[in-house]
Amino acid sequence: MPYPIVEIDVTQPLPVISISENETGVAIILRRKGRPIDFWMEAMPPNCELPPEDLSVQISERAKLKLLGENISDELMPPRKAWRLPSLTVAICTKDRPELLVRCLKSVQATQYPDFGTPSFIETIVIDNAPSDEATRALVGSMPGVRYTCEPKPGLDFARNRALREATGELLAFLDDDVVVDRRWLVGLMEAWTENPDAVAYTGLVLPYELATEAQILFEKAGGFRRGFDKLRYHGQTLSNNPLYPCGAGIFGAGANMAFQREKLIELGGFDEALDTGRPLPGGGDLDIFYRVIRAGYPLVYEPQYMVFHQHRREIKALRRQYWSWGLGFMAFVGKSYHSDPPKRSKFLRLILWWFKDRLRYLKGSLRGRHELPPYMVLAELWGGVIGLLGEYSRSSRRIKHIRAIHMSFIATGLRLCIFLR
Amino acid sequence: MFAPWKIVHIELSQGIPELPFYYGIQGACVVFWWHGIPLGEQKIQVDHLPMPAFQLRQLATKAITPAVGDHLVNHGFKARLPMPPSIRLFDKPPDLQTLMALDQPLRRLRRHLSQPRDGLPCLSVSVVVCTRDRPEHLVLCLRSLEKLSERPYEILVIDNAPTSDATRCLVSETPEVRYILEPRPGLSIARNKGIENSSADVIAFTDDDVMVHPDWITRLRQSFQSPAVMAVTGLVLPAELETEAQFLFQQGNEPSKWGYRALTFDSDFFELMKSRGVPVWRIGAGANMAFRRKIFDIVGDFDERLGAGAAGCSEDSELWYRVLAQGWLCRYEPTAVVYHYHRKELSDLEHQIYHYMRGHMAALLIQFDKYRHWGNLYRAFGVLPWYYTKLFRKSLRNLMPGPKSQAGTLGAQIRGCLAGVKYYLQNRSCSSRFGASADKADWSEQEYISK
Repeated sequence: MPYPIVEIDVTQPLPVISISENETGVAIILRRKGRPIDFWMEAMPPNCELPPEDLSVQISERAKLKLLGENISDELMPPRKAWRLPSLTVAICTKDRPELLVRCLKSVQATQYPDFGTPSFIETIVIDNAPSDEATRALVGSMPGVRYTCEPKPGLDFARNRALREATGELLAFLDDDVVVDRRWLVGLMEAWTENPDAVAYTGLVLPYELATEAQILFEKAGGFRRGFDKLRYHGQTLSNNPLYPCGAGIFGAGANMAFQREKLIELGGFDEALDTGRPLPGGGDLDIFYRVIRAGYPLVYEPQYMVFHQHRREIKALRRQYWSWGLGFMAFVGKSYHSDPPKRSKFLRLILWWFKDRLRYLKGSLRGRHELPPYMVLAELWGGVIGLLGEYSRSSRRIKHIRAIHMSFIATGLRLCIFLR
Repeated sequence: MFAPWKIVHIELSQGIPELPFYYGIQGACVVFWWHGIPLGEQKIQVDHLPMPAFQLRQLATKAITPAVGDHLVNHGFKARLPMPPSIRLFDKPPDLQTLMALDQPLRRLRRHLSQPRDGLPCLSVSVVVCTRDRPEHLVLCLRSLEKLSERPYEILVIDNAPTSDATRCLVSETPEVRYILEPRPGLSIARNKGIENSSADVIAFTDDDVMVHPDWITRLRQSFQSPAVMAVTGLVLPAELETEAQFLFQQGNEPSKWGYRALTFDSDFFELMKSRGVPVWRIGAGANMAFRRKIFDIVGDFDERLGAGAAGCSEDSELWYRVLAQGWLCRYEPTAVVYHYHRKELSDLEHQIYHYMRGHMAALLIQFDKYRHWGNLYRAFGVLPWYYTKLFRKSLRNLMPGPKSQAGTLGAQIRGCLAGVKYYLQNRSCSSRFGASADKADWSEQEYISK
């Protein structure tokens, strides 16, 4: 069942890829001089080998344009000057998953520094979101150079906004606790910044950390979080060949790996706390902030070198829930923006129509066995979309009002208690 | 409201600048060059301007990679001949070692293109410009011909049935240009007069509403390297995209149609496409084409029933048809560049499209008449009606006001087709020099559309 993930650098001699008895395929991450340039998965019979000759044919067929393009890009690159790089705060929001968190923190500490300059400082904050025990606090306490903050209000965007208040760096990079950053993660982010100092948001490539279960393989085969291997810069209110831009905010990137100019993010009002609240609305907050960045007229940059590896859901049930939450989060975002951004209403209506049409078409294909995803996954996403559209955002807004009220009364009670004790 | 597109030429060897903001345009159409070789283009919408240099570099890299690969690597980067996707042509992927060894590909490309070619026959070139009462255009064309980096053997201006002597006066000011009067109207007639009066090995044709690139002659001449190549066409870039008509005209000529990679049309291509109508119109444009002189002795000269002033156009493609049918090669060579001023008025455009289709239809019938290749009739009476029905249905669905698309000129296209049939029937009696060689037709083939 599992697929080994093999990293190949075309500048090195090609390895022999051997598939063991219980493996049924291979996933290949192709790099050139450390930069990721392609990723693909291939089903293979167990107990076989892929010799370098066959591999080289595969590589040149798949990645010829990319390989030559990288060569040309190197040649056209003006000599690089030394940059004064921005200071960086890395914020990791977590909840009761210390074993994942420690893996993520270690990878952040092991990331390479760019050779074209050094950031004036890099700080790492862990935001512990409504923890049920002290494990995360104890863990972070044992790691030098990592700051611990607790955010009692449950909800990812409460945690992210807390990070926004706590951070001091010019750039603020968010990571989910279930990712591991690539060794060139920091180089990628800083390169994106040197090339686009005017950008307000940066997003990066997300590849699988492991492909060990059916659910993980299925998810990655269906596209995963990948957004391609080209640098992209989104700016302005139109995009040729995409009439639904910028409302279809899924193209911009994923919340598991994103960074912002901190001051601009504060100016934009931070994250919408009614999205990404965990159950029952786990998602949509990243789409919302990307959309607002673009609508405010700022550039958003996607940089493939700014790469993390995400541990996908292992169980089919959890995966189904993830698709459901994608539909839900996306439509909650659409519902919110439909109300908050009147000039784009007609576009959002078209987007809703397009989305349902597209998903239904996909469902049809899936029923005929033409797609990777089985019909029940697509149905879950569709169902999530329907729920999301039927006022999920306003329900969620009421819920977080309630959460805020509880916490306010909690604090008030505490204050009163203090005064009383005195 | 239509806003113009700005055409920006960027010479990559001089470094990549920031693309500035231009007021009052819809976007910029950027053409990327490397030491005078066009390698690719990219359209950029105005709200992406000003565009930082690094991002332009990004776009440039993406746009030029296929063409650079085509120049430097033997296989794997070839452009696809205009064929329906159902015909699979296997282009072997490039060797990975070769690809990895290509450091500094652009510098290599320059060396590759500037080295003297051994065994290149020293061909002389005559330039023939046909014109009719447009001295204000012609003067720009002649000025660009003066700037050619390599002098042609001769330059002829064929004045086609003029109403005044303005062209004669203009040409008399430039001593190295010969003036020839052709009183009978018709572009084919004028071009044939040019063939008659020229004496070089290669005859290069261009139009009066065109400006040529300084290396035009050099690149055309180089493309005749192989002795089997009888006809060469080149890249036609728009000189300006100021009006809606010019923009719409250009949309029909996107790089997908005439790209930045060379194409060789051979008899294999001809045989594969014969049963569905060989898309000879995709070989190039009459504004930028050249022929070996001897091909006119082999296949004859331009058919006087076709071309502007007669059926409308397609006199060029019909000649290429004959070249391919007799087993010779046509080559599309994008390094030979001219800039064309498209018609400015929408009414002109409609008129032009009408004549295009009229000429196209007549050419299909003439090609059938000469060779009995049934694919021509299949296209004329099977593919085109089917295509127009589809377009009509589509235009019914999009009745909302918006930018005019191809469906906007649907009426003109259909009227043109009908007129083409009528024109052919009226002029059938003209002697055709080529005998009937009946071919087996394959009517069951899948439809093929691309005009």
